[in-house]
Amino acid sequence: MFSLSEGNDNWNPGPPSRFILPFPPLIRFSNPSSGNPCTFGMTTSIFRMSKDAPEKERPMEELVNVEAVSRRFPLDNIPTHHPAHSFVSALSNASLRVSAGEFLAIAGPSGSGKTTLLNLIGCIDQPTTGRILVDGVDTSKLKPNGMTTLRREKIGFVFQTFNLIPVFTAAENVEYPLLIQGIGSRERRERVAEALDSVGLSARAQQRPDLLSGGERQRVAVARAMVHRPALVLADEPTANLDTQNATQLIDLMHGLNRRLGLTFIFSTHDARLLEHAERIVRLCDGQVVSDNSTEGGSRG
Amino acid sequence: MAKFLLLAFRNVFRNRRRTLMTLFMVGGGVAGLLLVGGFFARMFWGLREHTINSGLGHIQIFTADHFNRDEVRALDTGIDNWRQVAATVKTGGHVRGVAPRIEFYGMVSNGDKSSVFMGTAVDPVAENGLGFFPTTFTSGHDLDSKSGGEVEALVGAGLAKSMNVKVGDGLTVLSMTSDGALNGVDVEIVGIVDSGVAEMDARSLRITLPAAQRLLQSDRVTNLVVGLDKTENTDQVAAELAPRLRGLPQQLVLKKWIELATYYKQVRSLFSTIFVFLGIIVFFMVLMSSVNTLLMTMFERTREIGTMLAMGTPRAWIVALFMLEATLIGIFGAIVGVLAGNLLGVLLNHSNLHLPPPPGFTVPMSFQVLHVPSLMIGSSLLVIVSLALASILPAIRASRLQIAEALAHV
Ligand SMILES: Nc1ncnc2c1ncn2[C@@H]1O[C@H](COP(=O)(O)OP(=O)(O)OP(=O)(O)O)[C@@H](O)[C@H]1O
Ligand SMILES: [Mg+2]
Repeated sequence: MFSLSEGNDNWNPGPPSRFILPFPPLIRFSNPSSGNPCTFGMTTSIFRMSKDAPEKERPMEELVNVEAVSRRFPLDNIPTHHPAHSFVSALSNASLRVSAGEFLAIAGPSGSGKTTLLNLIGCIDQPTTGRILVDGVDTSKLKPNGMTTLRREKIGFVFQTFNLIPVFTAAENVEYPLLIQGIGSRERRERVAEALDSVGLSARAQQRPDLLSGGERQRVAVARAMVHRPALVLADEPTANLDTQNATQLIDLMHGLNRRLGLTFIFSTHDARLLEHAERIVRLCDGQVVSDNSTEGGSRG
Repeated sequence: MAKFLLLAFRNVFRNRRRTLMTLFMVGGGVAGLLLVGGFFARMFWGLREHTINSGLGHIQIFTADHFNRDEVRALDTGIDNWRQVAATVKTGGHVRGVAPRIEFYGMVSNGDKSSVFMGTAVDPVAENGLGFFPTTFTSGHDLDSKSGGEVEALVGAGLAKSMNVKVGDGLTVLSMTSDGALNGVDVEIVGIVDSGVAEMDARSLRITLPAAQRLLQSDRVTNLVVGLDKTENTDQVAAELAPRLRGLPQQLVLKKWIELATYYKQVRSLFSTIFVFLGIIVFFMVLMSSVNTLLMTMFERTREIGTMLAMGTPRAWIVALFMLEATLIGIFGAIVGVLAGNLLGVLLNHSNLHLPPPPGFTVPMSFQVLHVPSLMIGSSLLVIVSLALASILPAIRASRLQIAEALAHV
């Protein structure tokens, strides 16, 4: 399939098609005539501002290494007269290294593969080709149980739709990752209090999620994602369901935790305004890394 | 683990309306089983007491040979020294009374017409000592043990009708003596009996023991009937009596009421089968409808399950959570059902409803239910197991969700 993909690209120069078909694609998601969506935000001041960030000293220990990863999804609702094996390629040949302590934004338009990439790093999904190392562990070699353990111990998740357990209070939601790790109740209580305090929600600890505002819910989710002291927090569009003010506050909160605790954050967004808060921005388009401002200075000048 | 139980508990009450409907259905099933089972139990109880108290007794004593007897010469296999046996039995605990009886057959004739009868010879005083239901007479009175003159007889209502006789009329009773000769006696009818069982009344004839012994030319009796204070004591008394009867010259056999109550056993096994069938229906009804509801619940919680799995919850925990939730619903449903069933039972017992007479009976039956603890436990377990089983499919489906897809689920 990979060679077909190249053939297809050769046949159809311009923005790479995300469809890998033995025939020219019938539908094209990125229409070349409407301008390249991948240029979005590339030359804004935000981008240049964040170029200053790499100056900051950060620990160089490598935490995530995405090596030439592709992820293709089989298309099942393809018309029958097409040959059987047809795929949509969500990510093609993407590479990325993340060091411990980074505060990294993944930017890109809708459908560019942000969620797919975060799912792969988060061991929720497995690459079609390539491999991903998380904290030195080659995730492609892990069995399902190993992936579960890795997620439970090393990764915290923040979701676009908050995804708190509705029948649990804020404190109980934050407690959950500790619960599934089998941590004793005393330590759980202390750590939950600490985590809720660090997101400024100690007062709301006993509230159920449906009584919290969107911003508060997402802060609870952040507390839940960091309470078990993971190596890495992944947040897929954590601000998409928040208004601008709450969104900015949330990114600030995460950035504060990153600086204070050295917690590594990788979050995705397609909101350009939030990118000014990120130290490093990796841009995706059509499943490929099109820019990365940490390597920008060296490779592109 | 406590938190996990709490999670399951709260999830049960998350969709109140749906849980309420499930509880209603499960509770309804349990309550229904309790009512039907309680009614059957009450019916068994009624039939048992009726069977025992209308003459069968709690225990009967026969000779071992009685069960290979020649039906015509009834007393060939009878008990010889029955007065001694009766005295021995009477000294036992819980024994109210012992009555000797002779079972015999023959023909009865009014001069024009004759008919077969099933006769019982009794000692009226001893019979009264058993503490059984008094005989119901449509007319006349009971046998008198002391009457010297004419031989008194009681006949069943059906037999009286077919022989066209009333109280005060005479009949000739013919039967075979021990040495094979035909013997007859003229009797005067002093009472007409309505036992409540039509088939019995069509054939039954009762005379006193001495009269029968004269007719049959023997001192023996067929059996001794033992009446106890309570049916529940039967096993205990039987166990105590058996060794005491062993020392006697004749080999005697002791039969408990249940061994003799053929009709009771048939009715019981028929209605037990019906009940088991009902139980199976309730089981599958609960199973089918809960599979559906639980699948719906699982589907609605797809993203939440995805979240739990993403955070590293072992898949087995998800299975356990769903099964636990269903089991909790089963437990609550069972509680609701047991409460409702007992409450309805109490109301029914107070409502004084009557049902038409059961097959073979002539008296209507009062609609009563018993509160049977073993039924409550059994039907509760039934629905709990049913719900636990119903949750297996949804639970496994939930645990096998693709995390990425589940998280993208809206
Ligand atoms: N399970 C799947 N099956 C088929 N196609 C998929 C699947 N998941 C993702 N895709 C496709 O892969 C591409 C990348 O999807 P992805 O969700 O990673 O994009 P995204 O950058 O997160 O977009 P958005 O900003 O809308 O969330 C899209 O074209 C999407 O339709
Ligand atoms: Mg996405």
